[in-house]
Amino acid sequence: MFLSLSSRTRLVTPALALTPMLALFLTVAACSGDTPAPAAKPADKPVQAPVTTAAAPPPTLAMSDLAAEAQNVTLAPSPAEMQKAMEKAGISGGLSKLVQDRDLKLDVSNKDVVAVRTGVVLADCLLTVKEATKEKLVARLALVKTGMNTLGAGKDLPATIDDLTARINNDSISRDDLVKELDEMHGAIIPEIQFEAGDRSVPLIQAGSWLEGSNLVAAAIVAANKPDAGTQMLRQPEVVGYFLKYVKTEGADKASSGVITQLQGTLEKLQEIAAKPALTLDDVKEIKAQTDSVLTLL
Amino acid sequence: MHILLLSLLATPARADEDQAETCLRTKIWDGYNTGYAVRTSQKATLNQGGHKVYLVTLYAGTDYKVLACGDTNVGNADLVLYDHSGKQVAQDSSNDREPVLQYTPQTTDTYYIAVHASTLNDLGKQGSVSTAVTYK
Repeated sequence: MFLSLSSRTRLVTPALALTPMLALFLTVAACSGDTPAPAAKPADKPVQAPVTTAAAPPPTLAMSDLAAEAQNVTLAPSPAEMQKAMEKAGISGGLSKLVQDRDLKLDVSNKDVVAVRTGVVLADCLLTVKEATKEKLVARLALVKTGMNTLGAGKDLPATIDDLTARINNDSISRDDLVKELDEMHGAIIPEIQFEAGDRSVPLIQAGSWLEGSNLVAAAIVAANKPDAGTQMLRQPEVVGYFLKYVKTEGADKASSGVITQLQGTLEKLQEIAAKPALTLDDVKEIKAQTDSVLTLL
Repeated sequence: MHILLLSLLATPARADEDQAETCLRTKIWDGYNTGYAVRTSQKATLNQGGHKVYLVTLYAGTDYKVLACGDTNVGNADLVLYDHSGKQVAQDSSNDREPVLQYTPQTTDTYYIAVHASTLNDLGKQGSVSTAVTYK
């Protein structure tokens, strides 16, 4: 309705606007005999500007509104995105070779710890999906499923993981398609889940994934001796602040977990480093050491 | 079957949300054919002229494509990208319910993505808009 009305208006309006000009031109031509008519002067009456179909741009939002309204669930880059950005920064080799085998417990009572561990395993899945053996991939997905069940993710996601596992086992899904499925699980499905464990689950899962990705990126930068890439890849003060807000939240089960206490200390140190305008190689080494200290506690 | 039909009729908003998500999912999966992978996907239910803002970290040198799909009640959806200081750096140019915005940052930083339901076909209903950040 809107478009058709606009289109009709666009067709009619210029013709109407030209009518007085056309009448003036014909009058001048009729009075001038064979003498070529001088160029017609512009009519005194202002010519109406033609209506275009271009929609009005949306209102510009003020900085204060942007800051107040912004949703942070999209803030942290995914581990796969970190890997891609690292390649663009000139560090080849990828992160998948740096991923370690971990023996993590995903059915413990502290839900905060389960969320962080689930995020770490999910990051490992994403980073190794193309190269990992079938057995390792299936084992990691089983851990993610256990974590999701412990956090109370409902039935759909564990069922999806079961389906993916079956398709991996009988070779009916390509690794390229598996990349899409896992990207979607990490970036679209999990952030939308209302976990029984509470609102803290999503940011803490994201924190685990980001921590693992940052640890591997820091290791790669140190190995390549490219501190410039550290500023480009690891200086993310807002991301650190976002995670810290949830780790510090009252009600966090910190009393029974050295992991969460260490995570808070690590994030505070990372925030300090991220406040610098540019990172040195020593800063990157410190990020590696700090993230190691959390990951080894898991 | 009748119960299913009745439940569908009773929940039109949900059906519209699914419509926007299905449209976006198709675009996301198509993007993999040209090297784009999905980073995040979110949905919003908006009134005419309403908007939602997402804070994102974007890496220098990475090509980003922000995609959105509105349901059929959305006549025109818009995407606008603001930098960390609130300066507008990119905006979609379409006049439809499937806007696309591309941007390659020069520096790694946080940015604001604003998605607007600029025009709704039926002002008595809300519109659902799903938005994804993809990269390559």
